[in-house]
Amino acid sequence: MTTQRESRLLIAAAVFLFLFSLILTLSPAVRERSFNVNYHFSHWIGFALWLIIIIAAHQSMRRHLPDHDPYLFPAAALLSGWGMLTIWRLDTAFGLRQSIWLTISVIVFMIGLRLPNELTFLRRYKYLLLTGSILLTAFTLIFGTNPSGFGPRLWLGCCGIYFQPSEPLKLLLVVYLASYLANRAPIRISTFIVLPSVVVTGIALLILLIQRDLGTASIFILIYTTVLFLATGKRRVLLISAAALALAGLVGYFFIDIIQIRINGWINPWNDPSGNSYQIIQSLLAIANGGTLGRGPGIGNPGLVPVAISDFIFTAIGEETGLAGTLGLIGLLSLILARGLSAAYRAPDQFRRLLAGGIVAYLGIQSLLIIGGNLRLLPLTGVTLPFVSYGGSSLLTSFIALLFLLKIGCDTEVEPAALIDARPFSIMANLLGLGLIAASLTIAWWAIIRSPDLLTRTDNGRRSISDRYVPRGKLLDRSNAPINITQGESGGYQRAYLYPQLAPVTGYTNPVFGQAGLEAALDEYLRGLQGNPSSLITIDHLLYGMPPPGLDVRLSIDLPLQQRADELLGAQKGAVVLLNAQNGEILVMASHPTYDPNQLDKTGASLVQNADAPLVNRAAQGLYPLGDGIKSLFTSDLKLNELYKQLGFYTPPNLFLPVAPVDSSITANIRVSPLQMALAAAALSDHGIRPAPRIALAVNTPQQGWVILNPLSESVQALTQEFADAQAARYIAKGQPYWQQTSSVKQDKIEINWYLAGAPPDWQGTPLTVVVLLEDGNIYLAQRIGSEVLKSALNSSR
Amino acid sequence: MSGSIVLILRLALALTLYAFLGWALTTLWRDLQKQATALTTRRTAEISLKVRAGSEEPVLRHFVQAEITIGRDTTCDIFISDDSVSARHARLTYHHTQWWLEDFGSTNGTRLNGQAVTTPTVLTNEDEITCGATTLVVAMPSKT
Repeated sequence: MTTQRESRLLIAAAVFLFLFSLILTLSPAVRERSFNVNYHFSHWIGFALWLIIIIAAHQSMRRHLPDHDPYLFPAAALLSGWGMLTIWRLDTAFGLRQSIWLTISVIVFMIGLRLPNELTFLRRYKYLLLTGSILLTAFTLIFGTNPSGFGPRLWLGCCGIYFQPSEPLKLLLVVYLASYLANRAPIRISTFIVLPSVVVTGIALLILLIQRDLGTASIFILIYTTVLFLATGKRRVLLISAAALALAGLVGYFFIDIIQIRINGWINPWNDPSGNSYQIIQSLLAIANGGTLGRGPGIGNPGLVPVAISDFIFTAIGEETGLAGTLGLIGLLSLILARGLSAAYRAPDQFRRLLAGGIVAYLGIQSLLIIGGNLRLLPLTGVTLPFVSYGGSSLLTSFIALLFLLKIGCDTEVEPAALIDARPFSIMANLLGLGLIAASLTIAWWAIIRSPDLLTRTDNGRRSISDRYVPRGKLLDRSNAPINITQGESGGYQRAYLYPQLAPVTGYTNPVFGQAGLEAALDEYLRGLQGNPSSLITIDHLLYGMPPPGLDVRLSIDLPLQQRADELLGAQKGAVVLLNAQNGEILVMASHPTYDPNQLDKTGASLVQNADAPLVNRAAQGLYPLGDGIKSLFTSDLKLNELYKQLGFYTPPNLFLPVAPVDSSITANIRVSPLQMALAAAALSDHGIRPAPRIALAVNTPQQGWVILNPLSESVQALTQEFADAQAARYIAKGQPYWQQTSSVKQDKIEINWYLAGAPPDWQGTPLTVVVLLEDGNIYLAQRIGSEVLKSALNSSR
Repeated sequence: MSGSIVLILRLALALTLYAFLGWALTTLWRDLQKQATALTTRRTAEISLKVRAGSEEPVLRHFVQAEITIGRDTTCDIFISDDSVSARHARLTYHHTQWWLEDFGSTNGTRLNGQAVTTPTVLTNEDEITCGATTLVVAMPSKT
């Protein structure tokens, strides 16, 4: 019956891993939404190796251990296969290494099956094993290396094979404590008994604290405490240990920088998302991206999280198999822990009972520490997830621990040893169970409840990855001429800027520099997250983990007029805004100096530091003082702050464009942006009505075609009609069909020159208003640019 | 298209995982119930013994546990102050749904209905066990 159960479970595990491998093979087709892709095949080597060694181990167990627990081995086999394939998916080279390590581990496991069930050799050689292992760990202080070339030097080895002695040390500590304490049962806490075990544990801890491996150090303290608690049943052991752990954490916090970083990153990761908390935030983003069902093996982007193959493998699994997968993984771990505990209850003697209990503690505590660390339930500690994480030493140790559990649980003929007190075991089981439940709830919190908020974060690298696979919507001018488009093929889509001079306004979207301008303001439409039917968004997210194709947006910009304004502005530093005074549509918005967003990858860094600030859209984000000319243009009976309020100087223009925060001073020295000024000037051309600005006119939706994007604010009767008409008439330019006014003022030794012009009140066509601002140059140049732009606009509209 | 095929595979993947866990849990649950039933059957195996030490008045003793030791030692379940009985003389155990009589290698031996007991022997109702000068008559409640 044992064999039959075990083979059924192993068949389920094999089907699971087969499906996993199949999805991994097909994943490039899903990413690129085409069948003409390079499929992944290499991981089938890992699956084949897994199948062969697992069948061999199953046969070997039938022969050497006929009455063993039928659940432990299949659960461990599934976990290790799952981990191995995940590593293969993240990094082929490491996947192959892990497959080889898995083969070695299972072969060692099979050899171990021939050992006698009493495990007496462990008791006999406990000091030899422990000292040997401590010495090896001590050697890492001198000869230690790190296979990746940096980071803590916890490994011994050379020539491509590395071994981490602290991994088997954990298991040997359990062996030592179990045999030491079993010999002295029943135990009273006295210095005579506790001292030697404290000394031994202390040595191990010292080595690890010098190595600054907080994770392993806390595991040692916890394992030691748990085994002592299991042997004595004294709760004060737990309390003393909790106090010791807190003290160690506190001391570490103040004296060891890495511990301080980890604890700060745990308490408040949102303060430093790109620095010390980068790992944990990226980990949470990956879990959030997984959602309920996960993105599917090979379809998520777990590679964005640092060290995904070892420390963050749980996160990688969470992203690709979702809440369903991680809860299943926790279920598998719980199965191993529960069966291990059952083996402890059935153990024929006190030594084996403590050994099984200690192994359950070791596997449970280590799993909880790293899962909790990945989920921000606990401070991050760089330990491995047993059976799953990359690492030969960890895998080998896990399989030897599994072997011990199977050996202890298989003696069903012999009556179990008398259990003096069952409470310590049930308390340990309850604590581990509570921890696993807390972890499950935390996954649900990040993957379901907090997921939408997390995924829109700008440091979510998945957004720029999906930009490569999903075409982004185009930005078009008012007559549908393309301005910014997406070029290339799926997997290599790139943004192309056909009219680069408009860059300060339209902005850019770039994997390194992020987004700016209209590309940022209209991102939801261009990315297809708004305007598409929500069912389509949901289905595309479920199938591909990406948004549907983006939607085109039509702007109010008139490209020929824009071109004319850019020619006239030339090398001058300044801005031009031309708008329709009646409906607020912005026909021209120029800001110079400008830059070429097509070259952003090369020039981006220097652009950010450029003193001329080419990245700033001077028309909407630059604030300039008014000058006397403008003041006299608007002079009325109103109080100054009342007038400025009416003219909209205290409210930032609301449109799909990043604008500067307003200057709220009520003095005559107020500074406003050229866009604000153009809107105020428009009131003179439209009988005192200040229009609501518009730059994005319509979006091309798949179902309803072009849908109008309504203005985000309302037009306002800013000035009385009589006053506006009178002022416009007073400033009519000689022989010209428009009113005009210039204004200049000094700011920080730079002369600021304004030119304002607009249609008179009796104008029969579309009333237009233009505002020119020059940071240097002179007032005549401003006037020439403004009148030329206005004239071209009037001519073209005739 | 590729997305839909893979979605079906992904659902199958999740189902397999839970089939594994579900199957493990079901069999464990079944084992647990079997164990509970076994324990309940064991508890119903009551036995009564009419103990007559020498010429004393017989005493009827009733037991519900699965192991009864007989001997002169005070720790025995049936403690007999009779010099012909060894300190730990014999024991009755219940397993495989039957009561078994077993001699502990006592000085004067144990007899069942006059026959010396050398190997564990199955008891039936009204059997007479003799330990030294003491006789015990088995009375089992009839199974309904």
